[in-house]
Amino acid sequence: MEVTFKIYRKDPEKDGKPGRSTHAVNIPADATVLDGLLKIRDESDPTLAFRASCCRGYCGDCMIRVNGRARFSCTAKVSAFTEKGPELSLDPLRIVPVIKDLVFDWDAFMWNKIKAVKPWLEPAEPASDGENVVPDAQMKDLRKAMSCYYCGMCDEGCTVLPVDFNFLGPAALTKAYRFAFDPRNRDTRERFAVLEGPKGIWDCVHCYEADEHCPRGIEPTKRIIALRDLAFKMGIKNEKVARHHQSFAASVKESGWLDEGRLAIESEGLTNIKGLMKLLPTAAKAMMRGKAPLPYLHAKRPGADKIKKIFEKGEQETK
Amino acid sequence: MKYAFYPGCVSRGGCPELYPSAVKVSAKLGIDLDELKDVGCTGAGVLPQYISDPINARTFAKAEELGLPVMTICSTCQGVMSQANYRLKGDPEYRAKINREYLAEEKLEYKGTTEVKHLLWVLFEDYGIERLKSLLRRPLKGLRVAPFYGCYIRRPPEAITPTKELNRRKNYLDELIGILGAELTDISGKGKCCGFPILTANEENSLAMVGKHTGEAKEKGADCMVTPCPLCHLNLDGNQPRAEAQEGKEIGLPILHLPQFLGLALGFDPGEMNLKRHIVPTQTVESKVSMLT
Ligand code: SF4
Ligand code: FES
Repeated sequence: MEVTFKIYRKDPEKDGKPGRSTHAVNIPADATVLDGLLKIRDESDPTLAFRASCCRGYCGDCMIRVNGRARFSCTAKVSAFTEKGPELSLDPLRIVPVIKDLVFDWDAFMWNKIKAVKPWLEPAEPASDGENVVPDAQMKDLRKAMSCYYCGMCDEGCTVLPVDFNFLGPAALTKAYRFAFDPRNRDTRERFAVLEGPKGIWDCVHCYEADEHCPRGIEPTKRIIALRDLAFKMGIKNEKVARHHQSFAASVKESGWLDEGRLAIESEGLTNIKGLMKLLPTAAKAMMRGKAPLPYLHAKRPGADKIKKIFEKGEQETK
Repeated sequence: MKYAFYPGCVSRGGCPELYPSAVKVSAKLGIDLDELKDVGCTGAGVLPQYISDPINARTFAKAEELGLPVMTICSTCQGVMSQANYRLKGDPEYRAKINREYLAEEKLEYKGTTEVKHLLWVLFEDYGIERLKSLLRRPLKGLRVAPFYGCYIRRPPEAITPTKELNRRKNYLDELIGILGAELTDISGKGKCCGFPILTANEENSLAMVGKHTGEAKEKGADCMVTPCPLCHLNLDGNQPRAEAQEGKEIGLPILHLPQFLGLALGFDPGEMNLKRHIVPTQTVESKVSMLT
């Protein structure tokens, strides 16, 4: 079948400006997008740059956008994209620094972030027989996280990365989970210094896009939430987030539901005049429209005492 | 048709226009609401699971006692409750533990039968679109509306769209816009996050998201945006002026709650739907709607 490939091009050794090249290719009906790219490079344009490694849908090296959607070009069939016509547009991922054509900077995109979370085990002192034996049951969940093959699909799907490229992202945070929850891990607090810092777990919007994107069912979002719950348990160190969570928890504990006026003020910090002033224009507008809930005037829900009991029990049991 | 109504904190707190609109619209549709009062906040994804699961189990047990499914008007409540319910229904041991340790004292037990449905799902899955159509008094002709779902009413799949058939849930809002006679303005971020969850941790990113979604809708010519999530509303409406300042562009896109949008098509006046309470002025919507009657 005859298919037209429209490919994103950029050559730093020429003018470095992005453009597009068009190639009509004759390929078998079951060809993959990578087959098409190889044919173009072999037969018509040897300067075309793209990546691929395992050619079996594992390593993620070949990931590009096909008609706007992120796909492994080595497994994506051309025929799956020709429904609306025999034309394919190929681009690098949404948010990556491009090196040349379809080749982008994996270090900036993912590897530097994975390195930043210390992706290795720092074990506690081994037992007297020299080994840190872990029951298999405890490793089961971690093995799932360990089956991550760094394809980067979760980062590609992430909602935060397009607005903030420096966010650590689901792939690196999944790696962090794998070591933070390892029973042999020496110092969880120390690991959390990075994780609770800027661009870490508290910047995640927990939108579950990563879970939807991961081809291995690793559920990176749920891992990030587990890291956050663990931080809550240990005592959150990120100051602003800690104030927000404490206020949220206190209001549910005291009244059964959320006092939003109080939450807004307490999240800023009661002595943080500058932060509080920043809230004023919105608060004033909201007030005028009868919209702003007045803090601390919040009525208790019926059953609030029962909820408080549940809350305190939950806190106790996980200590 | 009756539900155990779970309005959530925000519909009476930060978005006090939502609760009365939802109650009026439900009455007009003939949906009976038995409000659950003696129940707690879902935790909204802020409280850790080990605290919010038992609180939500208590809510489900109360609804189960009434023999009613739960109806919410908040995507976030929907999502947190769906996820808790998924764990509690799917794992009898876990449920038994929560019953034993947290609910038994009140002589409550959650047997695992409660359904939790957002009003948006109720319309399509229980109420029926034909019946809804028969009640339309003011098809919203010419009103260009961008949908905005909120994350938790679309994901995670195992709790929200567990079957192929239910995958349709991801499109209900798009469909509804057409059903109510309005014109769909599709935007790329309709299923993305509004930014509200990180308003405290990273305000800049949060406001950038507001600017991105509302800006795109505006550029594509939408008159307004509609959302089934009051937390999205808080950010997209309440923080839109701050997003405009940060992004250095004017947007001015009115954001409607789902029940308000429904209400207008059912013949309620903008005043009855409390549009005046929004931060972003809703004049464009109001004048278009007033010309339709
Ligand atoms: S978590 Fe899943 S999507 Fe993310 S890099 Fe690992 S395998 Fe790929
Ligand atoms: S080359 Fe490894 S996934 Fe495509």
